Amino acid sequence: MIEINDVSFSYSGDNALNHINLNIESGETVALMGSNGCGKSTLLKLINGIISPDSGVYKFDGEEITHKKLQDPKFTKLFHQKIGFVFQNSDTQLFCSLVYDEIAFGPRQMGMNELDVDKRVNDCLTLLDIQDLKDRTPYHLSGGEKRKVAIACVLSLNPDVLVLDEPMNGLDPRTQRWLVEFLVKINQAGKTLIISTHNLELVSEISNRAILFDETHKIVADMPTQKLLEDIDLLKKVNLVDEYYHSHEGHDGKGHKHFHDHN
Amino acid sequence: MDNNRLKQFDMPGWLLKDERYCPQTDKDTFINKSILSVLSILSRIRAQSICKSAKYSVNAMFKVAFTFMLILLISFSRNFTFIVIINIYLISTLCLMDADVIVKILKISFVTTFFTFVVLVPSAIWGSSFNTIMITTKEFATITAVSILSHSTRWNSITGALKCFFVPNIFIVVLDITIKYIVMLGDFALNMLYALKLRSVGKNKSKNTSVSGIAGTIFIKSKEMAEDMYAAMECRGFTGEYNVYNGFRFNIADVIYIVINIGIIITFMYFERI
Repeated sequence: MIEINDVSFSYSGDNALNHINLNIESGETVALMGSNGCGKSTLLKLINGIISPDSGVYKFDGEEITHKKLQDPKFTKLFHQKIGFVFQNSDTQLFCSLVYDEIAFGPRQMGMNELDVDKRVNDCLTLLDIQDLKDRTPYHLSGGEKRKVAIACVLSLNPDVLVLDEPMNGLDPRTQRWLVEFLVKINQAGKTLIISTHNLELVSEISNRAILFDETHKIVADMPTQKLLEDIDLLKKVNLVDEYYHSHEGHDGKGHKHFHDHN
Repeated sequence: MDNNRLKQFDMPGWLLKDERYCPQTDKDTFINKSILSVLSILSRIRAQSICKSAKYSVNAMFKVAFTFMLILLISFSRNFTFIVIINIYLISTLCLMDADVIVKILKISFVTTFFTFVVLVPSAIWGSSFNTIMITTKEFATITAVSILSHSTRWNSITGALKCFFVPNIFIVVLDITIKYIVMLGDFALNMLYALKLRSVGKNKSKNTSVSGIAGTIFIKSKEMAEDMYAAMECRGFTGEYNVYNGFRFNIADVIYIVINIGIIITFMYFERI
C-alpha cells in the first residue's frame, strides 16, 4: 500500500530523512519509534503529502506521489480522503465552532446529504464516546476530549490509512488505555495504522511491527515490536532509553518495563 | 487484548467498507497561498536566527548606531559624490555576504528605487533631473544599509542594542517576545492550514468560515500563551522591571568597523565643506 524507496528530505539543508526505505501493507499497524528530532514527524508529513521528497520515490496504492501530482486538486483531494492524519497537537486540527461541525466538515465536503452526514457524525460521536460534546466548542475541551474529537473528524472521512503523530502525548493513563483499545479495534476493522510514539509501555499493544530511527535520520531497525523492546542495547544506542530502563516481575507473574533510577 | 473490553467499540457499517468517492473540483488557491506565505515568513525569521556570527562579528550596538548615523548623513548630504562613495562602500560590504543574501538585498533595493524613480519621472521631465537622481541614489543607499544590518545581525541582537540608546528594558523585552511569538503562532497557523488542506477533500461551500475559525483559534491561542507567559514570569519573580544584559566584547572587527565609519564622517565633512 505504501512504498518508500530511498527517500531523503531536508529542511533548508538540515537533513530530516536520510535514504529511507519502507513498505507498509494494507491492514498493518506500524509504530515509528525514535528519539526527538529523528525524523518521525517528517516521515508522517511526507506520507500525508504535506511535503514531497527531495530524492527517492514515494508510492501510495502503486501510484507515485510527486510534487507535481500534489498540485492537481482532484488527485490531492482523493489522496487526502484515503489517508487521515491526526496531528500531535489537536488544537491545530480543530477550527470549527462546534464539535458537530468539526466532525461533519469532511462528509459535507464529500457531497453527502445532511441525513447521511448526521448519521456519520453521530456514529463517530458514539464510537469515540463523546456524544455529550456534540454542541461544545472544540477549543474549550480537555486534552483527551480534543484528541478524541480530532480522531473523530479524521475518521468521518473513512480513510484507508490512519496516521497518528504521538497520539498518547499529554493524555492521562486512563485515556491512553482507552486509545490503545480503540486503535486495536480500528485496525481489526481493516484500517492501516501508522503511529509515531515514544510510549514504550503501550507500543507493543498497539502494533506488531516497529520501525526504529536513529539520530542520523536513518531507519536502523524494522522488526516485530516485542523483539525491538527486548533489544535494550539498540534502544540505548538510538537514545530512546537510558541505563535505568529495566523490567520488573509483576504481581501477576508477568514482567513489565519502566524508567526509574533506584535512588 | 481482552476481547470483552473491545466490545465497547461497535463499528458502524460505513467504516468497515471502502469509501467510493470521486472528488469534485474546488478552488483551493487561498489555502495554498496562505501556506506558502506563512512558510516564507517563518523561514525568513529562522534564517535570521542562524546567520553566521563569525562572518558578521561586529558588535550589534556599533552596527545599529553607525547604520543610524549613515542614514542621517545620507539624508543631510547635498553632495552627489559623497552619495556615490557611500553606495560603493555599501556594495563592497555586500560583496562579503553570501550570494543568496546579496540577491535578496539587491532585489529589495532595486525594486523600491525603481518605484521611487517612476514616481519622480514627472519631476525629472520638468527640469529637476539632478534631484530625481539624488533622491533615488539616496534611497538605494538607505535601503541597502538597513538591509545589510537586518541580514547580518540577529533580531534579538538588534533589539538588545537598543539598550544603548536608552530604550526602556521592558520595551526591548516586548520586541524580543513579539519576534518569538510570530514564529510560534506562525508554526501553529501553518499546522492549522495543513490540517484544513488535508481535510479539504471536496467542495468547501463555506471557506470563509474555515479561515475565520483558524483566525479565531489563533487569537485564543495567543491570548492563552500570553497569560501563561505572564504567569510564568511572575512565578520567576517578575515585578515589572526587566534588565537586559549585554555581554559586550571589543574585538578587531569592531575596531575596523569604527575606523571605516570615522572615515565616512570625515568624508561627509570634507564634501559638505564643514
